[in-house]
Amino acid sequence: MNSAPITHRFAVALVAAGLALSACSSSTGDAGGPAGGKFAVWDPYPQFDGGSEWVKVIEDCGRQAGVEVERQAYDTSDLTNKVLLAAQQGVAPNVLVVDNPVVSTLAEAGVLKANQDTGLDASQASTNLMAAAESEGKAYGVPIGANTLALYYNKAVLTAAGVDPASITDWAALDAALAKVVAAGKKGITFSAIGTEEGTFQFLPWFWGAGAQLTDLSSAQAVAAVELWKSWLDKGYAPNSVIGNTQTTSWQEFATGEYAFAENGTWQLGKAGFEYGVIPIPSRAGGVAPAPTGGEVVTVPAQDDTGREATAAKIAGCLTGADTVLATDTALTYVSAVESVRERQVAANPELAVWVDAVKSAKGRTGDGLGTRYPRISQPLWTAVQAALTGSKAPADALKDAQAAAATAK
Amino acid sequence: MRKNLVGWAFLSPIVAYLLLFYAYPLVTTVDLSIRDYTVRSFVRGGAPLTGFENYLTVFADPTFRTALLNTVLFTVVSLVFQYGIGLAMAVFFSRHFRLSATLRALFLVPWLLPLIVSASTWAWLLNSEAGVVNAVLRFVGVDGVHWLTSPDWSLVSVTIANIWIGIPFNLVVLYSGLRDIPAEVHEASALDGANSWQSFRHVTFPLLRAVSTVTLLLGLVYTLKVFDIIWIMTRGGPSGSSTTLATWSYELGFGNALPRFGPSAAVGNVLILIALVAGLVYVRAQRKQEAS
Amino acid sequence: MTRSWWRTAVGVLLTAVMLFPVYWMVNVSLTPASRMRKSPPDLFPVDPTFEGYARVLDEQLPYFGTSLLVGLGTVVLTLALAAPAAYALAKLRPRGRGSLMFVLLVAQMIPGIVMALGLYGMFVRFGMTNTVWGLVLADSTIAVPFAVLILTSFLSAVPDEIVQAARIDGAGPFRVFWSVVLPAGRNGLVTSGLFAFLWAWSDFLFATTLDSGGALKPLTLGIYRYIGNNNQEWNAIMATAVVASVPATVLLVLAQRFVAAGITAGAVKD
Repeated sequence: MNSAPITHRFAVALVAAGLALSACSSSTGDAGGPAGGKFAVWDPYPQFDGGSEWVKVIEDCGRQAGVEVERQAYDTSDLTNKVLLAAQQGVAPNVLVVDNPVVSTLAEAGVLKANQDTGLDASQASTNLMAAAESEGKAYGVPIGANTLALYYNKAVLTAAGVDPASITDWAALDAALAKVVAAGKKGITFSAIGTEEGTFQFLPWFWGAGAQLTDLSSAQAVAAVELWKSWLDKGYAPNSVIGNTQTTSWQEFATGEYAFAENGTWQLGKAGFEYGVIPIPSRAGGVAPAPTGGEVVTVPAQDDTGREATAAKIAGCLTGADTVLATDTALTYVSAVESVRERQVAANPELAVWVDAVKSAKGRTGDGLGTRYPRISQPLWTAVQAALTGSKAPADALKDAQAAAATAK
Repeated sequence: MRKNLVGWAFLSPIVAYLLLFYAYPLVTTVDLSIRDYTVRSFVRGGAPLTGFENYLTVFADPTFRTALLNTVLFTVVSLVFQYGIGLAMAVFFSRHFRLSATLRALFLVPWLLPLIVSASTWAWLLNSEAGVVNAVLRFVGVDGVHWLTSPDWSLVSVTIANIWIGIPFNLVVLYSGLRDIPAEVHEASALDGANSWQSFRHVTFPLLRAVSTVTLLLGLVYTLKVFDIIWIMTRGGPSGSSTTLATWSYELGFGNALPRFGPSAAVGNVLILIALVAGLVYVRAQRKQEAS
Repeated sequence: MTRSWWRTAVGVLLTAVMLFPVYWMVNVSLTPASRMRKSPPDLFPVDPTFEGYARVLDEQLPYFGTSLLVGLGTVVLTLALAAPAAYALAKLRPRGRGSLMFVLLVAQMIPGIVMALGLYGMFVRFGMTNTVWGLVLADSTIAVPFAVLILTSFLSAVPDEIVQAARIDGAGPFRVFWSVVLPAGRNGLVTSGLFAFLWAWSDFLFATTLDSGGALKPLTLGIYRYIGNNNQEWNAIMATAVVASVPATVLLVLAQRFVAAGITAGAVKD
C-alpha cells in the first residue's frame, strides 16, 4: 500500500528535474536553429516588430529562396556575443545582419563565410562602404546601407544669436558660434560621449578632424580633440549629461529646442519638431572632417551543412538587392550602399542629398588596416574620453594610458 | 542507514538540479577563466590552458582595485542604511496608530517594482539636466549635482537607489521580528523605569539579533550580486567610477564589441570566492551563536 | 490620542518621501514627450497624456502573458524542487546535509552574470533559448536555493511529535511529507512561492541574455525596448512600469502576512 504510491509520486516529483533532459532530446530539431528546416535571420533592429516592412522583406526573401525564415532581433551591443556563443555551440544563424566594425572580427574568427565561397554578389556596393566588410583581401557580406554623423542645428536659435551656419568651417568658427549662442541665453551643443562604442563613434569626427590616427591615440592631435570637447564642458557650451548620453538621449536634448547644435546621425532625420539644418562636422584646420560610417552588413555565417550556405547567400543577396533595399533603407533612414538606389532616395527626399555626400566621404572605422584590432583600440579611446571629460585625468594623461592599453591588447 | 537513504532520495531532485544548473555553468566559467581565448579559439576551440594568467591580468588591471573598493563600499553602505532605516521604520510602525497598517503596506511598493523600472526611475530623477532632484536643489539655491555623470557622485547615486529598493525588505522582516517579541518584555522594562531608548537598546535590540543576522545575510547576498541597478543607471561609469565586480564582469564579457570571456569569467569567479568566504563567516557565526 | 495623531502625521510624511519616486514614475507616465525635458519639471501632470498607456495596452499585453506564465512556472518548479529537499533537510536529516546546506548558501550568492554566461552556452546548444520553460528553468536558479533554505527552517518548526504520530499510524516518508509536513508548512510554501514569483516577474538579466531575440518576451524586455539604444520614451516606459507593478502589488498585499511570518519563523528557529 505504501511503497507503490511513494515511488509513483516520487517519479512525478522528479519530473521537474528531468524536464531538462527530456526537453533537450526532443527540441533540438525544431528550435529554429540551423539544424531544423527554418533559416535563422538575426538582426540588430529590435525596433521593428513582427508587422513591420523589414520583417515582411525578410519573409519575402525567404519565400523567393524557397525556405521558411525565422527572424530574431537583438540590441546591437548584444549581437556580437550572441553570435559568438551560438557559433561556438555550432548553431550560428544562417543570415546575420551585423554592425560593420565587427565584421572583420567575426570573419577572422571563422564565423563568417567569404562572398567568393557563397556566391554573394557585392559588386553594386560602393567601395568605401565595402572596406569595412573586407578582411585579409576577402569580402564578407554586403552593406545594407550606411549612416554617418553631421551637425544638426536649430535655425531659430542660430538666427536669434546672429550665427550664420555657413561660416562654420573650422573649430575656431564653431567655438565662436557656441560662444554667441550661449551668450544669447541658449544652450550650445549636445552629443554622446557614453562609455560604449557609440561614444567612440561620436568622437571620431573630431579625432580624425584634428588629424589624429587610431594607430596613435596619444598624439598631440588626439589630445587637441579631447581638449576641444573638454573645453565645451568647462565653458558650459555642452551639458555635463553628454558623459552619459546615448545618441538617442542626446537627440532628445536637442529636440527640446534649447540647443543650437547636436552631433547626430542620418537616422534622426525628420524627427525634430522645429526648423533645423544640417552641416558637415568641421575639421580643426578647416574643411569637412572625415566622419565614421555606421550601418550594418548582411553576412552569411559558416554552417556545418555547407549546402545551406548557398541558400543563405540567396537570402542575403535578396535583402541587399537594389529593389528590396530601398524600402529597408527608407525605414532605417539609411543612405543606400548602391548608387542607383541613392539617386532614387534623393529624388524621393531631397533632404537626404547632404547625407549622401557625407556618406560618400565617410571613413570605415576598421579601415587603415586596423581590422580586428579596432575594438581593442576603440574601448581604451572611449575610456580616455570619459576620464578626461569627467576631470578624473588630464586629456594627455588619459590618452597616454589609452595608447598603452591599446598597444598591449591582443 | 535507511533514514539516510530515504533522506537522500528526497534530496535527489535538488542534487540533480544543482549539478545541471549550477555545476555545469560553473565548470564552464572556470574553464573559460583558465584558458587564453581569442575570438577565434572561442568559436573553433583549442584555446591553450594558461592557468591563472587571466586572474593575474585582472588583478593587475587598475580597474580591479576600483571595482573591489566600489563593491565593498556599495555593499557596506547599502547594508548599513537599509538595515538602519528599515529598523527605524519597523520600530515606528510597531506602535499602532491611525493608518499605520495602510502606510506600512504602502512602504512595500518599491520592492514590487521590477529592478529595471526602479533603476530607470532613479536615473530620470537624478538626471543632471531634466531631473527633479536637481530642480529642487536649484530651487533652494544649491547648485545641481551631476549625480550620474560625475565620478564623485555616481557611486553615491547608485547606492542611494539600492538603499531605497532594500528598505521594504528590511522593514518587513524586522517588523515581524518585533511583533514576535512578547509585549510583557516591554512592560517589564518599562516598570523597571527604562525610557523607550534604553528599553530598545537593552531589551528589544538584543532580542532581534537572530532576525537581524538573517536580514543582513540575505541583504549581503543580494547586494553583492546587484547588477541591473548599476548597469541601467550608469553602466559602471563615468570612466569606471561606479564599477563593481559584478558590472565589470558583465562589461568584460558582454558590454563590448569584442568580448573578453576569459577575464570576465575570472572576475565572476573572484566574486563567487568572496561569496564563499561570506558564507563561511556566516556559518561560523551561527555555530558560535548556537553554542552559546 | 493626540500622540497617535502625531504619529499618523509623521507616518504620512515618511511614506510620502519614500514613495516620491513612485509618484514621479506615475507623473512621468502621464507627461507628454514635449514637456519631458522642461526645466524645472512639472510637479503635476499638467496637460496629461494617456498615450503611454495606450501604447502599453497596444504593444505589451502579450508580454504580460509571458511574464505571468514564466512567473507561475517558476513558482511551481521552485516548490517542486524545494519542498522535498526542505522536508529531507528538516525532518529526515540524512548525513551530509550540512554540506548540502552550505552548497545552497553559496549557490544563492553566485551572481546572475556568471550563471547567464554558462547557461547561454547550454541553452543555445539544446535549443532552449526563447522558450517559456527555458526561462522558467533559468529564473528558478535565483529562487531555488533561497526557497530550500527558508522552507527548511520553516519545516523545522513543525513539531516532531506530529511526524512521530503519523509514523506510528503507519505512514511512510512520502505520506508524512505530503499529508502532514507540507500542510503544516503552508506559510513557508506561500513565502518561498511569492519570492519565486516576484524574482521571476522582475528578472531582466536572464531574459535579456537567454530570450531577447525572439518574439516571446517577458515584460521586463518589453520595457527595455523603450529604453534600448534606439528610443527612450519615458511615458511609455513609465506607463508599462505602472501597469507592471499592479499584479505584484496585489500579490504582496494578499500574502504579506505569510511572508513576514515565514521569514522570521526561519530566522528565530536558527
